[in-house]
Amino acid sequence: MTILDRPASEDAAAGERRAPRDRALRREIGVANVFSHGFLLLWGALTVLPLLWMLLSSFKSDAEILSDPWGLPGALRFENWARAWTEAHIGRYFLNSAIVVAGSLTLTMLMGATAAYVFARYEFRGRQFFYYLFVGGMMFPAFLALVPLFFVVRNAGLFGTWTGLILVYAAYSLPFTVFFLTAFFRTLPTTVAEAALMDGCGHFRLFFRVMLPMARPGLISVAIFNFLSQWNQFILPQVLMQGDDSKWVLAQGLTALAVSQGYQGDYSGLFAGLTIATLPVLAVYVLFQRQVQSGLTAGQLK
Amino acid sequence: MRHGKYPLIVTFLVPPVLLYVVFVVSPYLQTFQISTTSWLGYSAEADPVGLANFTALLHDGRVWNALKNNAVLLAVVPVLTITLGLFFSTMLSMGGRKGRAGVTGVRGTAVYRMVYFFPQVLSVVIIALLWKEVYHPNSGLLNGALRAVGLPAPTWLGDPRTAFWCVLAVMVWSNVGFYVVLFGAAMSAIPRDIYEAVLLDGASRWTTLRRITIPLLWDTVQVAWIYLAIAALDGFILIQQMTNGGPNFSSDVIGLRMYETAFGSESKFGYASAIGVVLFFLTLSVAVLALRTARRDRIEYS
Amino acid sequence: MNRRDILRRTAAAGLLATPAAGLLAGCATGGGGDDDKGETYKGTKSEQNPLGVKEDAPLEVVIFNGGFGEDYAKAHEAMYKEKYPKAEIKHSATQEINKTLQPRFVDGTPPDVVNNSGAGQIDFNGLVSQNAIADLRELLDAPSLDVPGKTVRDTLLPGAVEVGSYDGNFLVLNYTYTAYGIWHSTKLFGERGWQYAKTWDEHIALCKQIKAAGIAPWTYAGKHPRYMSWPLIATAIKFGGPSVATAIDNLEPNAWKSDAMKTAADAWYQIVKDKYILDGSPGLDHVQSQTAWCQGKAAFISCGSWLENEQKKVTPEGFNMTIQPTPSLGSGDKLPFEALRGTAGEPFMVPAKAKNLAGGLEYFRVMLSKKGAQDFTRKVSSLTVVAGSTEGVELPFGLDTVVKALDASGSNGFNWVYNNYYRKLERELVDAACGEFFSGRTSPADFLDQCQKGADSIAQDSSIKKYKRTA
Repeated sequence: MTILDRPASEDAAAGERRAPRDRALRREIGVANVFSHGFLLLWGALTVLPLLWMLLSSFKSDAEILSDPWGLPGALRFENWARAWTEAHIGRYFLNSAIVVAGSLTLTMLMGATAAYVFARYEFRGRQFFYYLFVGGMMFPAFLALVPLFFVVRNAGLFGTWTGLILVYAAYSLPFTVFFLTAFFRTLPTTVAEAALMDGCGHFRLFFRVMLPMARPGLISVAIFNFLSQWNQFILPQVLMQGDDSKWVLAQGLTALAVSQGYQGDYSGLFAGLTIATLPVLAVYVLFQRQVQSGLTAGQLK
Repeated sequence: MRHGKYPLIVTFLVPPVLLYVVFVVSPYLQTFQISTTSWLGYSAEADPVGLANFTALLHDGRVWNALKNNAVLLAVVPVLTITLGLFFSTMLSMGGRKGRAGVTGVRGTAVYRMVYFFPQVLSVVIIALLWKEVYHPNSGLLNGALRAVGLPAPTWLGDPRTAFWCVLAVMVWSNVGFYVVLFGAAMSAIPRDIYEAVLLDGASRWTTLRRITIPLLWDTVQVAWIYLAIAALDGFILIQQMTNGGPNFSSDVIGLRMYETAFGSESKFGYASAIGVVLFFLTLSVAVLALRTARRDRIEYS
Repeated sequence: MNRRDILRRTAAAGLLATPAAGLLAGCATGGGGDDDKGETYKGTKSEQNPLGVKEDAPLEVVIFNGGFGEDYAKAHEAMYKEKYPKAEIKHSATQEINKTLQPRFVDGTPPDVVNNSGAGQIDFNGLVSQNAIADLRELLDAPSLDVPGKTVRDTLLPGAVEVGSYDGNFLVLNYTYTAYGIWHSTKLFGERGWQYAKTWDEHIALCKQIKAAGIAPWTYAGKHPRYMSWPLIATAIKFGGPSVATAIDNLEPNAWKSDAMKTAADAWYQIVKDKYILDGSPGLDHVQSQTAWCQGKAAFISCGSWLENEQKKVTPEGFNMTIQPTPSLGSGDKLPFEALRGTAGEPFMVPAKAKNLAGGLEYFRVMLSKKGAQDFTRKVSSLTVVAGSTEGVELPFGLDTVVKALDASGSNGFNWVYNNYYRKLERELVDAACGEFFSGRTSPADFLDQCQKGADSIAQDSSIKKYKRTA
């Protein structure tokens, strides 16, 4: 199987060139279309509705939320957002998360790409062992190792620091990153690399000047996946970033908000906090969705 | 053959391996060690008890009950998710095919894909909190709608007959989008000529899907299956947030059992680690099994 | 430099060795206990300083950030700081006490004061059996901060010490005084001309009347159905006397199947059978069910005296929530109608390995001073275990009814503690049984059977430390 990563516009153009073929077929598909369109819309509604509801609820008053789930907010109560932003410190946690994820994402990508490149392109003793060591990590939930992990971090003097979080995030992101990028590097044509080596290009130069740029789509999409999972991480920071709540990340702030909501009944504040936390992530996705989707193709098919 | 590859291998591999071994592998290994002790988690004392924890596991009805639920998840979630994923992605990529055949296709494919993917972007905590409110027996979205059309309004998460299936549905809901995009991406990589040839032969959509698309997508389906199987064995955050295993343990899963044993109603870390070790081997065997079965099937088709 | 520091340095020198070092220092083999002795802060004891607090020793306080928030604790800390201006106080608040602190306990570096409460509470059984909590008896014998001539023990309400005692050691300071009962809105009842029923038969008749008026008589926290075990067990104790509770606490064989429990379960089954429970209740959590109740969708709810504070935001003006004891089963009851379950709650502890152990005890002395207790009551509308802490504090309506109900209950008050001894038994096992029972899926006999099986499984588990209490 080969990869034909043609842009959609090209397909459409090709389609127009080829005139109508089979009227019976067209009718059959037409009928199926109404049917399928119905299902597609239904699923779309199922997906959007809860999210829309979350957004609307963030503007409602507590009484409105509790009495009429389908009702629209009586007014755009941005004070809910303001309350979540300032009182629940969502603003500060937001910034903290950004700092941590910026660091961990850089580290993940650097380490993931180098390791994956070596696995994909070089033969050496123990390659299989190390590869499966990494990939095996995809299978196990992080909380399984929570308690011992705490001591590792503490003994390294990294407890309660962003550096500690960055290193741990990166370490737990490596399995998927290595798995994905190894597959991706394997799809890249070998001829370019061989030619470059023939020309006397060194192994390091080859990686940074040739292979890395070629792997850009894969790198971007795995970066997006890592961004999402690191941004949404909450078990790790809860254990490794305790106490000093000025250093908390967003997920901690959100769970704190969710629990205090349970004790104080601040539904609107919770929905506002959830919305604030969701919007930027959705925005990142919408902006980069083409890369996510094309990256998926290349990453999954060897 | 290649000169000077070892400096690169060492430079590229040692930092990631170091990071990974320190923060991921070593904590997991310690979990194995802890599983052979009676450690209660709040002091430094832990007596080695050999395999006592594991024999106790064999007679623990709650563990078996949780495992049974995991088995159901394992059987249902991947099948349902992959079926829906294939269904929707086929509907969507009809667009390309119809374009080719000159039939007006499903409009807004890109929008559908984008929207379907949304849940994948959200943190599990947000998803769980949202759906908990959706299932709310009195003021939830779902029962609000059911009442509006005069249907009875069940208690969903409050009823042991439905709670588990409600969570399962959310699991499928949050995953389908990812696989629609994944399969869609994989389908777009299938050479168009194959479809055209088959369509000209007058094959129906069903035949095309069964005979062409699925076999060619088999690698991707296999990857999807492994991911989903692992997700089904975990599933703990969602269940913990939505039902905490209840009512009456009807939605309990093994991950939650482990969590409850260590951090919840008890603090038996030795026993919890033993559950973790069992989970480890289960996950491992499921992954291996999935790979084996899938591989055999692929040979059949190609 | 002690062994742990050496290990840490070694670890830092070669990162790869870290895990092994961590294991050695942390869990399996390193009996770390004695290492830290030299690091604890000790001052000289005197009349002014009976606990021997080192005045400049830092104090770390971890508060459960739940229904009471954390502001009351900041006020207590300020009082401590007033007394010891050189002490640096580190304050933090979390909802996940367990996850936050567990590793620090193992590491031998716990904070000095822990408010071990909430859903993420650390199981006390585990803590006690591992000697992780400091004995507070020294505190009890110290003089009260602002009640002249009395020791701390003298200022406490009866029962406060017993609840936090394990095998005779007073380990846990339960700071609040909580009453458990059945709540209703006197406004709603006044408007409808209903009267709270004192006997069970009248209660059922009232439920019928309420249902006929289009209101559900009952609702409960379906996600935490153990809330309904409280009135049920209370009914049994009032019927059969306090020994019913002792038997349950001591895990006696068939304690859950005593005649009193059977009679109580049969009685309560009536509200299930006759569908006197708000539809959908099994799917509600505590806040949701309490909110439905505040909205007038149901007439009764079972809860502790924290209810008013928890519902502050959604309670309508003039709702007037009122606590009442469970109705009597009949004239054969061993305890009068007024008897109410009252108990000290909201546990605080000083870890045995706290560096500033004396400071932790002193902090408790501040909390238990009249000033500290009154401030707490004013801030969070809750009673404390300190006698007279409501003096000079204007109480909100609901809390006022709690005070009156407790007064009326007087020496007839009762309590049980199996939930402290064996957290899992109440939180998991009885909880699940209540869920089945109150949603109508099991009979009273099956319900008690399920509870008994749970209790038996705890009794047979040799890894769980057992406690006994008398009377």
